[in-house]
Amino acid sequence: MITCRNFREKLQPGTSEPELLDHLRHCDACLDFAMSVDPDLFFRSIGGEEIVPPGGVDAFVGDVMSQVRVRQAETSLAPHRTVSVWQRLAIAATVAAAVTGATLAYRFEHRPVTHPASAMSIAARTPATHFAPTATKSFVETYSSHNATIVEMPNDGSDTKVVMIFDDKLPADL
Amino acid sequence: MNFKRVLLMISMTLSLCGAALAETVGEPAAATDAKPALSVRSFTFKFKQADKAAAAIKPLLSAEGSMSIQPSSNALVVTDHAENMKAVAKMIGDFDKEPQSFRLYVRIVGASRVEGASKIPDDLKDVARKLSMLPYNTYESVGEATVQGKEGDPGLIDMTTGYRAGFHFGEYDPASDSIAVKDLQISKLTGAQKDQLTSLLKTSLNLTIGQTYILGASKAPQSQRALMIVLVARR
Repeated sequence: MITCRNFREKLQPGTSEPELLDHLRHCDACLDFAMSVDPDLFFRSIGGEEIVPPGGVDAFVGDVMSQVRVRQAETSLAPHRTVSVWQRLAIAATVAAAVTGATLAYRFEHRPVTHPASAMSIAARTPATHFAPTATKSFVETYSSHNATIVEMPNDGSDTKVVMIFDDKLPADL
Repeated sequence: MNFKRVLLMISMTLSLCGAALAETVGEPAAATDAKPALSVRSFTFKFKQADKAAAAIKPLLSAEGSMSIQPSSNALVVTDHAENMKAVAKMIGDFDKEPQSFRLYVRIVGASRVEGASKIPDDLKDVARKLSMLPYNTYESVGEATVQGKEGDPGLIDMTTGYRAGFHFGEYDPASDSIAVKDLQISKLTGAQKDQLTSLLKTSLNLTIGQTYILGASKAPQSQRALMIVLVARR
């Protein structure tokens, strides 16, 4: 049996020398070294040989690839039932309920504010012979002098409206 | 499988709750959210002017509503939602009637500020109380009268004290429930012979039916004298 030093000096990738292979079967330290040089060296040391499938390598590879294609076709044709029908129904119902609830909540939050006693509703309820005022007009619509000062006096709580016109064109002895 | 059933039951329960809520809340919400189409209607007036009606119905129109006046046919073309159109049609129907009759009460009161004790006749104490914020302590009745007339009719009040009030009954505005008093002119007979009619003031007023108005006229706020015109319009 050669020494480890001789083994490592003689070792070449793809070698099949009997003494080198024999050393490899007995020396674990050189086995690691040999694996780094030639990974198939250990296989050859234990008597392994090239295996040729029946009919040749090309026929074997062709059979394997045809099987791969058949499996791929089966996979593409088969229904993808990752989620069951019941689960789909349940999910659809949940989504529908969530959308309905969200829509209702949104409408409830954004509903227009209605005033029950608005002018429009009052007008609609008012009999034809009497009108509820929906607008107010100014008491003094026009006055002959543009330089006059027209003042509405504070209301004393009564229904009477008092408006004063101060016009320096008016005579003093009104 | 149990998990699936539980999930299914929860989903169905939520769906039923959603459907129930939609039945109770969804209907009015849909009614308010939906924007109904605008309708167009033309109103032709027999007795009143279309432009006056336009001012009356303007407060009834919605934000999307509009109207246009056709002076040649004295018509008003209104565009608005059907719900508003009902109110507009009702208002126009009530507005476009034969001239209505009104009564106008006019009272002229002389107000002055004099040294000494105040002089307020009993029949003017009510008026004086309403004018308590003004610096006058003496009131005298110049005259009063009630004139009845229809819209468009003239009115004239001659008072024995030499004052005169001339005016025209304007149109009634149903929107504000008011009658216009056009060209109210207060005049006074002056001169040594009291034969010269001097115009004191001229104005146009809007009187809400049943409300009492006091229109005061003075040369200046610190003037010693003012003329108070009490007006009440009634049907």
